[in-house]
Amino acid sequence: MNTQQIVVDTAENGVSVVVVHGEHDVYTAPSLREQLSSLLEDGNPVVVDLTPATFIDSSILGVLLGGLRRAREHESGFALVIGEASEPTVRRIFEVTGLFPVFPVFASREEAVSAARANGTNG
Amino acid sequence: MDDDVFDVWLRVPARPENVALARQALAGLCEALPTSPKVLADVKLAVTEACTNCVVHAYPNGLGEDAVFEVEADPGENELLVIVRDYGRGISPNTESPGLGLGLPLIAALSRTVEFRGGTAVSGTEVIMSFGLDDDLGDGNRG
Repeated sequence: MNTQQIVVDTAENGVSVVVVHGEHDVYTAPSLREQLSSLLEDGNPVVVDLTPATFIDSSILGVLLGGLRRAREHESGFALVIGEASEPTVRRIFEVTGLFPVFPVFASREEAVSAARANGTNG
Repeated sequence: MDDDVFDVWLRVPARPENVALARQALAGLCEALPTSPKVLADVKLAVTEACTNCVVHAYPNGLGEDAVFEVEADPGENELLVIVRDYGRGISPNTESPGLGLGLPLIAALSRTVEFRGGTAVSGTEVIMSFGLDDDLGDGNRG
């Protein structure tokens, strides 16, 4: 079993990068929600890097949507990283739900950080 | 195939941490079968969504010793049958659901067939899903 971790990297140029490792579902959703809420309440642009995530479900999607909404309310940047190295399982839920266009999604952390810093909630 | 014999049978308290247990049990089963990565991903996600429904919705009055969910899995030659069952209040519209409400539509999209049984406080809910073990293309479902 992959280690479930949610790690907040030191902000890059003022952008907080939340790195999601391993499998995440209803059990870890509250923790991710809390992390995102705290960062967004502080007005930080936030990038959620799903590259090392090996599984997410609709509970996590809901948290990400909540983060996007909160970022827009605070006029903060918010972006996701789902790159070539991302697990098919992670891409699958975005594809099946049709939610890819809703999120600002980037293939690399660098692109996502640049977009979030520029208040890029339009991916 | 004996209809009463399943290759995987799991019964656990309906707690959030047990959803991963069920998912990993089914993943382990699928990895022992000739399934594609897509089928494995679909089984993991559909089972997770079904078990999450049990945890979040089935027992609104709290967890007594009977607040459990069960997962049964039976691989056939070309198809995997998975049943997720609870003994709670049954499926009903929940306008105050904390989630997105995507669980049931996701299950329907990911599985080859899906059937919902029960829906009363006495009988709980069964979600009966089938997955094509040789499915390689597109989304399962159906009506």
